[in-house]
Amino acid sequence: MAKILVVADIKNDALKDSTTELLSKAGSIGAETAVVAIGSNIEALISGLVNAGSDTQYVADDPALAIFSAGPYASCVADAAKQFEADQIWFSFSESGKAAAPRVAVQLEAACATEITDVAISGEHVEVTRPAIANKVMQRVRINAGQMVVVVRAGAFEAAEGITGTENVVTLSPPAVDVKAVVKELISDASGEIDLADADIVISVGRGVKDQTGVDLVKELAHDLKAGFGSSRAMVDGGFMAHNKQVGQTGKIVAPSLYMAIGISGAIQHLAGMNGSKVILAVNKDPEAPIFNVADYGIVGDLFEVVPILRAEIKKIRA
Amino acid sequence: MKILTTVKKVVDVELTIRVQAGAIVEDGLQYVINAWDENAVEAAVQLKENNNAETTLVSIGGGDNTDMIRKCYAMGIEKGIHVEDPALEKADSPVFARVLKKVFEKGDYDLVITGKQAQDTDSGQTGIMLAEYLGLPCVSNVIDIQVLDDQHIKVSRLGDAGTEIIELELPAVVTVTDSINEPRLPQMRGIMMAKKKPIDVMDLSALGISIDDADGAAAPTSEIVEFMASKTREAGQKFEGDAAQITAQVVSLLVDEANVL
Ligand SMILES: Cc1cc2nc3c(=O)[nH]c(=O)nc-3n(C[C@H](O)[C@H](O)[C@H](O)COP(=O)(O)OP(=O)(O)OC[C@H]3O[C@@H](n4cnc5c(N)ncnc54)[C@H](O)[C@@H]3O)c2cc1C
Repeated sequence: MAKILVVADIKNDALKDSTTELLSKAGSIGAETAVVAIGSNIEALISGLVNAGSDTQYVADDPALAIFSAGPYASCVADAAKQFEADQIWFSFSESGKAAAPRVAVQLEAACATEITDVAISGEHVEVTRPAIANKVMQRVRINAGQMVVVVRAGAFEAAEGITGTENVVTLSPPAVDVKAVVKELISDASGEIDLADADIVISVGRGVKDQTGVDLVKELAHDLKAGFGSSRAMVDGGFMAHNKQVGQTGKIVAPSLYMAIGISGAIQHLAGMNGSKVILAVNKDPEAPIFNVADYGIVGDLFEVVPILRAEIKKIRA
Repeated sequence: MKILTTVKKVVDVELTIRVQAGAIVEDGLQYVINAWDENAVEAAVQLKENNNAETTLVSIGGGDNTDMIRKCYAMGIEKGIHVEDPALEKADSPVFARVLKKVFEKGDYDLVITGKQAQDTDSGQTGIMLAEYLGLPCVSNVIDIQVLDDQHIKVSRLGDAGTEIIELELPAVVTVTDSINEPRLPQMRGIMMAKKKPIDVMDLSALGISIDDADGAAAPTSEIVEFMASKTREAGQKFEGDAAQITAQVVSLLVDEANVL
């Protein structure tokens, strides 16, 4: 039986759904599962870790781990992997995961694959599937090492119904701080906003909204729908939207039930971040805009005219 | 300060990529510098201009990389190394990282700047693994680099919880994302001068890497078994005409047909 260690995805002191999704998938391929949680003051999360479907919980809880630092974070994961004798180590799709996974792989002399969308054990080999070249192709990759570290692409796996685990907490000793890479400050993202990765609906603005007035117009719609509010790179570069709102290859990968692209042309790098969405609605005044090639519903029109109508119509049906 | 920048030649992602019988169809492909490596080159050149850094690039594999390397020379990079060897055909990120380690050790560099990932694999591992093999501090997804003194730099990183400000002791490795800068277009003078600059081409044995050793630097731990076409989305229904009418129609479809509102 394969042993899979899942790295808990913790953000703003909360356990993200992706942790359950990864543990569900690991369970579904018949693996023995463990989870490793890294942070400060995280005792409250332990029951959640169990309920997410893990049989062992490795916990590194230390004030020094309050702010992410890739070195110590990777050490905790490697430590848990060794204690658990994990065959596979799975990270959720996050900047922390992407930074730590290659380090853990080198430390364990394991193979490493990022952005994977599937894992299969075929005979003696483990194979993973992953997109490449800005999602234009998929690769099937054979792992030729005894151990493997992966980063799972957002939305790749689904949480199983009624998953349960057993509590068996193992405390990890705190890792050494990285004296050569000292985190001086964390400029926190605006809190209280809906995390794009969690939102069931994501609405993104592009250069078509032009300026703050356009941004605010669409933001009201997002607010009505309790939707995550995202952006193309153009509006981030323009200084209208924060970096953490960028959807795309360099930004967040999202896969909501509904994605609305408002005034976004549909560049390949943007599509790479959202074309896994269940339903896509695009509003663009150019009928030839490439976004329409991936949109389930396309409204050709001036967004400044369409968005207020969209709001009113949605209000009507929700009333 | 001596800077080593990595550049990879990758398939142009803007063009159509076709897959046939488990492989990418070569016909019609074009190759360009990896976009994020162009940001790395620009970052290095800015450090040369503002902090008197010396700049060297290294490229591994890719066949004839002359045009790409000359482009980087024209942007301001001073020296270029190209490692080419038939044994690198199936190289994965750990292999690239171990080859880079050898290059690094030969050059006494203070800072390595790589793009955050390559556009052909989208893996994002090589720079971070290089640091780990060398035991050097590393920060990925960097959007700003400031030199503090001969031994320290301060970088900003886009992380999950916000922007992290990190002080690094040199030598160090950083991987940069596209928000860090806007790569310059080479000017005529630079392009002319670039043509005269030599490129230091070497193979693995010149770096002291044995390819016969199965556990050696050239042995990959993963191999691509096949390429498959991505699931492409079909274009759906597109509505043109009276804004009020088509918008109302789309909203009712989102409710009744798509069940997402
Ligand atoms: C290495 C690299 C990484 C990148 N990563 C990302 C990434 O992560 N995310 C990302 O988004 N981009 C990324 N990009 C940039 C990407 O290539 C595009 O430049 C960007 O996505 C374009 O943003 P946009 O669609 O908002 O702007 P544009 O392409 O300018 O499109 C604006 C659209 O608005 C429409 N429009 C204008 N006015 C109106 C109106 N009144 N009503 C309706 N429609 C209107 C226009 O018809 C047009 O289609 C990356 C690029 C590179 C090279």
